[in-house]
Amino acid sequence: MLSFITGVLSTPAFILGIIAAIGLIALKKSGSDIIKGTLKTIFGFIMLQQGANIIVSSLVPFSQMFESAFKLTGVIAEDNAIAAAVQNVLGTETSLILVFGFIVNVILARITKWKYIFLTGHMMFSFAATMAIVFDQMGIHGWKAILLGSLIQGISSVLFPALAQPFVRKVTNNDSVGFGFWGSSLVWISGWIGGKLGNKEHSAENMNVPKQLDFLKEMSILMGIVMSIIYLVTSFFVDTKLMNELSGGQNIALFAIMQAFTFVVGILVLLQGVRMFLGELVPAFKGISEKLVPGAKPALDIPIFYSFAPTATTIGFLFALVGGLGATLISTMLPVVVLPSVIGLFFMGGAAGVFGNAMGGRRGAIIAGVVLGFSFQMIVALAYPIIDLSDYGISGLWFASTDAIIVALLIRLIGSLFGITI
Amino acid sequence: MFILTVCGMGFGTSLMLLMEIQDLGNKNGFTIDGEATDLSSAKGKNADLIVASSEIAQELENNDIPVVPIINLLDKNEIEEKVLPYITEYHTRGG
Repeated sequence: MLSFITGVLSTPAFILGIIAAIGLIALKKSGSDIIKGTLKTIFGFIMLQQGANIIVSSLVPFSQMFESAFKLTGVIAEDNAIAAAVQNVLGTETSLILVFGFIVNVILARITKWKYIFLTGHMMFSFAATMAIVFDQMGIHGWKAILLGSLIQGISSVLFPALAQPFVRKVTNNDSVGFGFWGSSLVWISGWIGGKLGNKEHSAENMNVPKQLDFLKEMSILMGIVMSIIYLVTSFFVDTKLMNELSGGQNIALFAIMQAFTFVVGILVLLQGVRMFLGELVPAFKGISEKLVPGAKPALDIPIFYSFAPTATTIGFLFALVGGLGATLISTMLPVVVLPSVIGLFFMGGAAGVFGNAMGGRRGAIIAGVVLGFSFQMIVALAYPIIDLSDYGISGLWFASTDAIIVALLIRLIGSLFGITI
Repeated sequence: MFILTVCGMGFGTSLMLLMEIQDLGNKNGFTIDGEATDLSSAKGKNADLIVASSEIAQELENNDIPVVPIINLLDKNEIEEKVLPYITEYHTRGG
């Protein structure tokens, strides 16, 4: 019996299920809603892990291909996949940091003037996992890792939205919501630079973006195209013997495209899982915070900004892709090549375009996009040595959230003051 | 009444939109069921009403379900003005 209970408490899917149940009970939901919410959280979480398995399975042959072709390591910056993939080893730490980090966030919002409640669930999850990984690498485990991780997560949850708020006000003319996304600093800095170099008179919204670019609004389609190109080009440079071995006799081009599409499907499954468990957890978190913190401002996900300037969103994204490709080229001279990370470029680039446009018009949006795309991937290339993911059987992936990387870097620096090195 | 809220990724914005609409329903005495989803999954789903951010609303307009585009997702008044008539109409029809 005891082993069953400890087993449940060390299985992240069940921990999150219990958290959802507690939240729903606290909100006085009906029995049927509680059962539904709890099970959907558990299913969603398992789905997320399965998605991560698919992604990792398509990246393992790719990493081999890339290394053989270019004698370099190639990584794609994607947080959710990493967070999901480490759940078997660091699941308990991650889910407890997620919950206690939220509690610290609510307390800080209650007692300080920073009333932000961070509600972007997939980012809370990936940040918690990042904390678990960073402390694990520093040799800090169990309750100590959970305590430190929760404190840092709670502080970051009010600090980053507070830093972004002056810029959010400029974009939205509104002070009732915050920016809850771990790339916020890079987005507003890019927008600010775009503003300095741009001209506010010529808004991007007076331009017409061709209808034919509409398909770019579907991230999965674009990711399928970009990933196929990356896999295919890499396969041309791989030694034929190795390539035949990996593909098991299948036509090489077909194998490359299938693996690229499998990667995209993995992302889609993972996101479906995230959607399912967040649909239950976030309303519970929101309900609880509204009761405890008068005047709470929800800090929300990045797409809330897109509707303020849809054209600038597309421009920002396209130019982030340009900047990102530039960083990929330069990183070929570094120990690690950062491949274009469509999700990050898409979401952060779009927002950088909106911020750049608000502060510096059309030119501002273009510059903000380029700056964002370039620095987003260069930061990954430069920070890559600070966290080693190979211990967890992960290859070809690295962290994407700029804010989380900055925090991880600071933790590492403070750790080294106390003599804790990698 | 079952309302589908849609954004690019299906979490974050659409989830907030759904919670906002459910609050709005409660204030006016209606219970609203719903789901937050992404653009690709939304196309295969059935609902009484779809609410989406304006830049993706046009991509959903090829079916029998009415689509409400929301321009400013942070503006509660806009959401109320555009969505509440549909909710009231649905319930007065005895939906």
